[in-house]
Amino acid sequence: MKIIPIIITIVSLVTLTMSNNSIAYTNDAKKLSSYDENSGLQSDAGKVVIQFHQAIQKSYKQKARSFLAEDVIIYEGGRVERSADDYANHHMLADMDYLADMNIEILEHRVTVSGDLAYSMSRTKLMGKVDGKKIEQEGMETMILLKKEGKWKISHIHWSH
Amino acid sequence: MNKYITAIFVLMISFTSIAHGNKDHGNKDKQAIVDIITSIKYGWENGDGTPFRKNFLDFKGARYIEGGGQNKGLDSLVTHHVEPEKGAMEYMKLDFSDIEVHFEGKNKEFAWAIADTRFKGKVKESGRELDKSGYQTFLFRKIDDEWKVVHSHSSGRDKK
Repeated sequence: MKIIPIIITIVSLVTLTMSNNSIAYTNDAKKLSSYDENSGLQSDAGKVVIQFHQAIQKSYKQKARSFLAEDVIIYEGGRVERSADDYANHHMLADMDYLADMNIEILEHRVTVSGDLAYSMSRTKLMGKVDGKKIEQEGMETMILLKKEGKWKISHIHWSH
Repeated sequence: MNKYITAIFVLMISFTSIAHGNKDHGNKDKQAIVDIITSIKYGWENGDGTPFRKNFLDFKGARYIEGGGQNKGLDSLVTHHVEPEKGAMEYMKLDFSDIEVHFEGKNKEFAWAIADTRFKGKVKESGRELDKSGYQTFLFRKIDDEWKVVHSHSSGRDKK
């Protein structure tokens, strides 16, 4: 029976040691954390953003939907959509129609990757005609991507113009 | 018997302190971010660049998107937008509500916050009253144990 308190004591000490190690690891990571602004469009996250843009412009519904996290939050034109299904079944279709005949010039696009998180900022110039009316506007986009189970998914989009 | 009680007590304390440590840490970080957002509200309303200079990371490539336009860098945001806007307005009020903060990364060193926004103001020159509702996105990085805004994006439209 003497073995039981010994086991309990060892488990306690191991637990305490693990908690101390994890605190030490976190502190080291903080010291080492530096801001990386050099990652770009060639990164895997950057490719996902570009492929998503292409899928929207070419009206590839399933492909566009596949880049979105299920719980994606999308801000667009003063509205919010809070799931991939919500967006895919509503405004995505309107966005595809709107962009199908537009000329899109990318003015600026930067993707910053930090571990399993990335964010993308882009500015585009949209030119074309909608209902016979000439359109020329600048669009702004912010995206947040998270890598889960090895795949980058878009978790947040903020569009404005 | 005393040995059992002591060992179980030590075990309970170690688990409890880990759980509380993580929770307290998360609450502290969330509060720090909400405090920064509150200071940004103050900065806009008072034309004061101080909260921006304190809480925004100034780096090459920084972009802050406001109302369909973008500011390149922190100085541009403060001197071309925050400070002059106050002077052009008879009054202005900015509210952030339903603030959601998401922490990401292995060590929770990245956060993004989203919020609903409401802006009310009156332009001095024209007397035009503004009432806009919209959304705000903030991206934060924890650098040297302090949260810094690395990107922001706001958009809104006339409140109907």
